[in-house]
Amino acid sequence: MNRPVLAVEDVSLGLGAFSLRNVSLALAPGEVLTLLGPNGAGKSVTLETIAGFHRPRAGRIVIGGRDVTSLAPERRRVGLMVQNYGLFPHLTVAANVAFGFVACGRARRPDGADVARLLTRFGIDHLAARLPRDLSPGEKQRTALARALARQPEIFLFDEPFSALDARTRDTLREELRAFLREAAVPAIFVTHDQADATVLADQVAIMDRGRIVQAGPVAEVFRAPANSFVADFTGVENRLPGRVVSRAGGRWQIAIGDRLLQADAPSLAAGTADVFLCIRGEDVALRSPGEPASDLSTGNRLTMRVERVIGLGALCRVVLDGGFPLIACLTRRAARDLGLVPGGHAVVEIEPESIHLLAG
Amino acid sequence: MRSADLLADASVASGPSRPRWPAAMARPSGVMLVSWFLGSVLLAFIVVPLLGLAISQSGASLVHVAALPEVRNAILLSFASALLATSVAALIGVPLAYALAHATFPGRGIVAAIVDIPLAVPHTVAGIALLFAFGRRGIFGAPAEAWLGLRFWGTVAGIVIAMLFVSVPYTVSAARIGFESVDPRLEKVARTLGMGAWRVLWHVTLPLAWRSIATGLILTCARAISEFGAVVILVYYPMTAPVKIYELFLRFGLNEAAAMATLLLALSLILLILFRWLAQGQGRASGYGR
Repeated sequence: MNRPVLAVEDVSLGLGAFSLRNVSLALAPGEVLTLLGPNGAGKSVTLETIAGFHRPRAGRIVIGGRDVTSLAPERRRVGLMVQNYGLFPHLTVAANVAFGFVACGRARRPDGADVARLLTRFGIDHLAARLPRDLSPGEKQRTALARALARQPEIFLFDEPFSALDARTRDTLREELRAFLREAAVPAIFVTHDQADATVLADQVAIMDRGRIVQAGPVAEVFRAPANSFVADFTGVENRLPGRVVSRAGGRWQIAIGDRLLQADAPSLAAGTADVFLCIRGEDVALRSPGEPASDLSTGNRLTMRVERVIGLGALCRVVLDGGFPLIACLTRRAARDLGLVPGGHAVVEIEPESIHLLAG
Repeated sequence: MRSADLLADASVASGPSRPRWPAAMARPSGVMLVSWFLGSVLLAFIVVPLLGLAISQSGASLVHVAALPEVRNAILLSFASALLATSVAALIGVPLAYALAHATFPGRGIVAAIVDIPLAVPHTVAGIALLFAFGRRGIFGAPAEAWLGLRFWGTVAGIVIAMLFVSVPYTVSAARIGFESVDPRLEKVARTLGMGAWRVLWHVTLPLAWRSIATGLILTCARAISEFGAVVILVYYPMTAPVKIYELFLRFGLNEAAAMATLLLALSLILLILFRWLAQGQGRASGYGR
């Protein structure tokens, strides 16, 4: 990892009944990190502490190699984006963008060339004279990005900017924001409770709960191998099943769930573990028709289960199965139709051992 | 509390060019009918006496009364003192409103209640209390006279003090609502863009709260002009307009008093409508960099 643009080192602080405890984060140039967690986990407080609105009781915050722990927000170079984008309602689009220059003493007038250049870059020059209340959410996002860029931030901080939007708009804006972040290569922290934001936007994810970071790492890794059942729950692992260890050979474990046996690869699980939780993502559960020959998965798990329900979710659907224990499979609606899944029928379930993540129970 | 609103809107609503009006009246619900019926009793209660007073006066008697120097001086004194009181209210009332809107200390409710006390105190009582505090041997009056040479008994300063006491709650409560309505996230964004707390106050918070602050100041000014009880106890001479009207009533009877009352009513309304118009224009034009 390059020298981090942002380093939050062991920060603790108290705010009334709430406290942050030993929060550490690091962000490499151009990297996007999402802070994911339920309401009240301390995500926004962490973000506001990085922005300079709360003084940590202990620890240090370094932005761009400069210790900013005791600096006021206006002395740090951060671009804060809030819910609904926080455009100044009494100012036009051009004046909002100009505010970014004026506030940090880089320009005096809203019709300057710098402002025009930013308006053009974001394709909002035709909106220059409009007030924020007349803008679409997308136009607001672009205006807010332009305004924040005027300040030349070293890091962007997003505090749930999409939370008041409908699902379609959110998807569009998220995609637009992803493109911007890739192109501008400004590192960003993105606070959200929506895991889709994490998977689409971020390289790194940190999961927060009750003022602490409970797991951090590359998005794919955290989603594949949650460190505990809270993370598994929060990252949307569909299946969390209690099991009992039967035997172990190298990294391959035999686990009993009820009267069924499953094999799981867990090289890092402690040797003496007796009770475990199996975490299986719905998309890792493959379904076949009972008549179909086995795939060339020779060492995998293969069991016949009863179909309980098929729940349509647009393009995807969720199949609830029962075979002595409940199991949820996620597949495309097309695949579900081809398999002819009906409640009461049967399906063959295949799960690769490396798709089963084990947590000590 | 928004008496000026009613006055401003009534003139618009009566015009024929309101497409919303007949559409909304097409099938009024029972609740709306009853509300309007009872509400119009209130409107009549306010408008009819004032209108009756105004039309009872001939132009000649108005001209006659307006030509009297003592009447003109009283009205000018009222307006000037009310403007002074409003300025002081802005200077000390708006900061308190800001503090109340942002603070989270436990005694916040008590402080807010203290500010509202003048609304509940009979104004003659307020006048007597002020006389004790600002009189020659009062806790404020004695040092003010000793160090600043400022006396409050029978002076413009006394009129301003009496007006301020009874009218400043309107500024504090309206400005507080204004400050509370400003999204704190906007202030945070402005800080991260590079503005210190004072510049954020000036460029973001005040422009966004301005409508409410102006409404409060206008109500304060209106209340100050109309104050009689507290003023008359603290300062009989020089006479403000309400005191003068009272004196005319005692000396010459209803007719003389009614003429001056009409004059004061008309001038007050003109002044308030003018302020309101100015405040709204200011609100629209407070755009930054324009």
